[in-house]
Amino acid sequence: MGFTLVAPERPEEACEILASAAPGQVAVLAGGTDLLLDLDSGRSHPDRVLSLRRLPWRSLQWNGPTLTIGSTLPLSEIEVDPVVRARIPGLWDAIHGVGSLQLRHRATLGGNLGRASPTSDLIPMLLALDASVEIVGVQGIRSVPVDEFVLASRSTALRVGELIASISIPEARPSAYVWQRVRPSNDISQVGVAVARASRAPFWRVALGGVTPRPVRLPEAERELRAERPLTPEVVRAAEAAATHAPFATDKRATETYRRQLVGVLVRRAIAMVSAPLDRPVGWA
Amino acid sequence: MIRTDLPAKVSGETLFGMDLGEPGMLWGALVLSPVAHGRLRGLGFAEARAMPGVEAVVGPEETDRLLAGHTGDPERPVFPRDVVAYRGQPLAAVAARTLAQARAAARAVRCEIDPLPIVPDIESVFPEWPGSGAGEHPSVIAHVRAAHGDLEAEFRAAEFVQSETYRTNGVAQVALEPHACLARVEAGRWLVRTSTQSPFSAREDISSILGVAEESVVVEGTWVGGGFGGKAGASVEPYALLLAASTGRPVKLALNYAEEFLIGRSTLPSVVHLESAVRGGRVTGRRARLLLDTGASLPGRDFATGYAIGFLLGPYRVDAFEVEGYAVRTNKPPFGPHRAPFAPQCAFMADSHMDGVARRLGVDPVAFRLVHAWAPGDRTPLGQVVGPFGMIECLQKAGALLATWRKEIPYGGGFGLGVGCGFWSTNAQAGGEAVVRLTPTELVIEQGEREIGSGSVVRGLPAVLERVLHVPAEVVRVSYSDTASAPFDSGVFGSRTVAGLGGAVEKAARGLSAELARRLGSTGVAHLSVDGGGLFATATGSRRPVEELLTPQEIGAGGLRVAGKHYGATGAIDDARVSAGSFYAYTDFTAAAHLALVHVDRETGAVKVLRYAAFHDAGVVIDPPTFRAQVEGGVVMGLGSSLTEETLWSPEGRLLNPSLLDYRIPTLGEVPPIEVHAVPGHLGAGPFGAKGLGEPPIIPVPAAVANAVADATGVRVYEMPLSAERVARALKLLPEGGEER
Amino acid sequence: MPAGSTRVNGAPVDLSEVPDDERLLDTLRWRLALRGTKEGCRTGDCGACTVLLDGRSALSCLTLTHEVEGASVTTVEAIANGRIGEAVRDAFIAEGAAQCGYCTPGFVVALTGLLAERRASTPVSDLLEEMGGNLCRCTGYGTIGRAIVRAREAIR
Repeated sequence: MGFTLVAPERPEEACEILASAAPGQVAVLAGGTDLLLDLDSGRSHPDRVLSLRRLPWRSLQWNGPTLTIGSTLPLSEIEVDPVVRARIPGLWDAIHGVGSLQLRHRATLGGNLGRASPTSDLIPMLLALDASVEIVGVQGIRSVPVDEFVLASRSTALRVGELIASISIPEARPSAYVWQRVRPSNDISQVGVAVARASRAPFWRVALGGVTPRPVRLPEAERELRAERPLTPEVVRAAEAAATHAPFATDKRATETYRRQLVGVLVRRAIAMVSAPLDRPVGWA
Repeated sequence: MIRTDLPAKVSGETLFGMDLGEPGMLWGALVLSPVAHGRLRGLGFAEARAMPGVEAVVGPEETDRLLAGHTGDPERPVFPRDVVAYRGQPLAAVAARTLAQARAAARAVRCEIDPLPIVPDIESVFPEWPGSGAGEHPSVIAHVRAAHGDLEAEFRAAEFVQSETYRTNGVAQVALEPHACLARVEAGRWLVRTSTQSPFSAREDISSILGVAEESVVVEGTWVGGGFGGKAGASVEPYALLLAASTGRPVKLALNYAEEFLIGRSTLPSVVHLESAVRGGRVTGRRARLLLDTGASLPGRDFATGYAIGFLLGPYRVDAFEVEGYAVRTNKPPFGPHRAPFAPQCAFMADSHMDGVARRLGVDPVAFRLVHAWAPGDRTPLGQVVGPFGMIECLQKAGALLATWRKEIPYGGGFGLGVGCGFWSTNAQAGGEAVVRLTPTELVIEQGEREIGSGSVVRGLPAVLERVLHVPAEVVRVSYSDTASAPFDSGVFGSRTVAGLGGAVEKAARGLSAELARRLGSTGVAHLSVDGGGLFATATGSRRPVEELLTPQEIGAGGLRVAGKHYGATGAIDDARVSAGSFYAYTDFTAAAHLALVHVDRETGAVKVLRYAAFHDAGVVIDPPTFRAQVEGGVVMGLGSSLTEETLWSPEGRLLNPSLLDYRIPTLGEVPPIEVHAVPGHLGAGPFGAKGLGEPPIIPVPAAVANAVADATGVRVYEMPLSAERVARALKLLPEGGEER
Repeated sequence: MPAGSTRVNGAPVDLSEVPDDERLLDTLRWRLALRGTKEGCRTGDCGACTVLLDGRSALSCLTLTHEVEGASVTTVEAIANGRIGEAVRDAFIAEGAAQCGYCTPGFVVALTGLLAERRASTPVSDLLEEMGGNLCRCTGYGTIGRAIVRAREAIR
């Protein structure tokens, strides 16, 4: 507490504020639904809070097959876009399952990535969609795959003076995000499984949340899925590979053994949802 | 309109304890112990006192100065002086000009504590089932035992013995409004406005803790944002009063939600061993042993063990039994009363056990329970006579509905149906007084409680008056005042408001009726009616405006006042059956049977409750909409403790999930359709035969859900809540020997 | 921060005295004396502090006051000034959808925002699920669910 709030209108100004400050002096506020908890508890005590609300990043646009989402667009705006829901159903599943509607009205995709919570439900889906992060900074603009952007729990590849401008998803993909939570609303997933099918081989992406220390792609499971429409034995092998290789740990939400049981089940169910999308239930497994 | 309090609540005008504020007030914050057990060497206040806005920091020494000449209960010091007994124990309090300043200063207080070894849980005290002499263990602060009949003979003669161990976990009340009060000290009077379930017992507690005369303490209840047992007696008030005394200014003190979870007096875990001797299709002998984690409760002050253990035996007949319970002191915050203290947990264990015996016998679980269920006139295992009691009728109706639902669900496929039974005793014993005041245009109930949500005060009390005097609801009003001016009442607990305080209202109303009849020249009763905005009284054909029946003095004094008192009978148990400790004697028995339809995901263990029905022996239902809402609320609270709610503790005595994110109470989308049925036929001790309904709706829920899960899977889960992980483990989906939680 | 043209319940408010680190919840309750907005968990998990920001429900406990600069804030005190809010209020009263009443303002505001945001044809089950951010401990959601159905019917 006891900080100054700054809300520049131009990205260059925002990056300059970050670049000129010592580490930890400036906290970035995109939606605030996670940061404010840290400010309240004293886990974070910056001198200044940099609000991104005036930056021109509240956008959603398709460029051919590519979807680009501005980093400060509230999650609820992505959720209500009928094209997003139809073309990338897994992204809708993941976003719709975040917190409550009140929370999604404020929370942003950029904020979720930038905070890099180990329990994020969005990062696994972005991994399965081969999404990349467009970064602006005092040194210029660069693009980094999400897999390289999220380094560890609460740690990203952002350098001093850099901000997330947008997130790009290279193509619309049949996809699903399924999770298990103790409570369907407003809870954190014990395990989350993101599955997406690409337009060309290798067809399948499988990514996990609820793992330690950060959401990951699971190449061991992906390798088992060779066909565009995999048959049951392939799916079973992929689920077994996921259960074997997922970097799970025990915490207050679930034990490692239970997570291994869950991931095998959820990988099968997620692939089934992508393969036979007609009667797909909504996310909650 | 159903309840008179609704428009103001819906429009946000109603102010609660959290909303209290006045000009010049300071904000308080508590300094909580960062360790679960330790020797207090000292507290460093210098840094905190120098912080901006800080007006007072109060610890043990300052308390001594402020309370010089007063002697509080030495067993309940405001702040500990020597040993810290749990993490979160208040060590000092701070007052500052803003809440942020107060909290920052509280964080800056230095706590010098030498850590001591801690007792985190029951298992660390008794890794194995304790033998005889466990009552002497230094961690055991209460021991109760009762027995009757030749138990050994029953076990020898048994066709089989069903022997099971159950576990329950801690649950929190989660009233959405945290504990909050606003205190001031003026001219030697200790004044506090607070969100409490029981202003008078808060006054008694404050007087005892601070060592000040009860007459000098005035408690004014505010609207209460939920209680569920957590707001009985005093909580934050003594700290706020000390800060007010220290600064000479009004002080607001409210817990934040993490503190609410930690020191809001939640319930703690238990381990129970149940054994039944079964012969001829009946349980003939029952042995029950309870180990209850009572946290840092004081020896001799454990109320829970003797209270809880009675619920382990009922509501079933048994020829011979032995029950034994131990209160195990640990370094957790003291055990508190959570709606129906420990009855839902006991019903879960007792009724899962009965269901399991029936399944082993291959008989219908409902029919099996009907063989054992108490009927009116039966004696309980502790020798009490069961009065009017509708367990049999509730079970029969639940069983009939189960048969109907059975036809509507696919066989197998993870669906299952279960019935849970529970009983409760409306606290008819605690006293209450009320005054009914009649003016020419309205009737006012003057009394000392505040509404905590159920409607028992705002709707229950007027409904009693309406029934006696035949008046429409529009002319009846409930007034509240502080403990200095309101008639005494014991508080909102034990399902007693309508039965107890309502009894006082009934007596006052009958007194008023008789007095009006007398003034109308009759010896019978009088009724009231409304005509053209004025009240009229009628008795044996004579009808006059109330205005003409009241004396000018009465009208000048605000109306005609008639007082009523209700002090109910105490229950009696057969003391010859008790060999250690004390047991709770029930007063007015009430029964319920619930039916749950569940689906169990046989790959993940996740349980969904799809449909639910509740049958309640509620005596005469005074107000049907309130009855329905109250049962729905209790059922859903019970579904939370059945499936998702539990407090998680680390081996260091740290509460791991003190937030509404990680302690999961049910949300709207999860709630199944719930049928609510009143089962008439057995009159309670309350007005017109009403029975209490505060606790009963939550009691049978975990048992109904657990039995439905057993029906769906053929597997029993011996621990509540029935989290998906526990069910998965019971289904043997997880490798054996893995880490459990 | 310069004061913008923020409006609370239709009236412009001057926020120039509000410190940068203050929450909207505290500004409403303690500066503007709008204590109908309730403080529950203060961590965004209970929904009791829900207000509308330009018509969309938001958690005032997780919102810095200056972040709503230029926006229109609606609290429970003014929610029934609109057609939908009025229908919601009436439905809550008619169904008896409050017990202790502490969560009630949050429910009324959140449901008003939800009904304004979603099409009236939205299935009831979707509405119930979307209200999952508001916790109630007393009612078991029975009366609240019936009030949601009634309010939806009233505005169709």
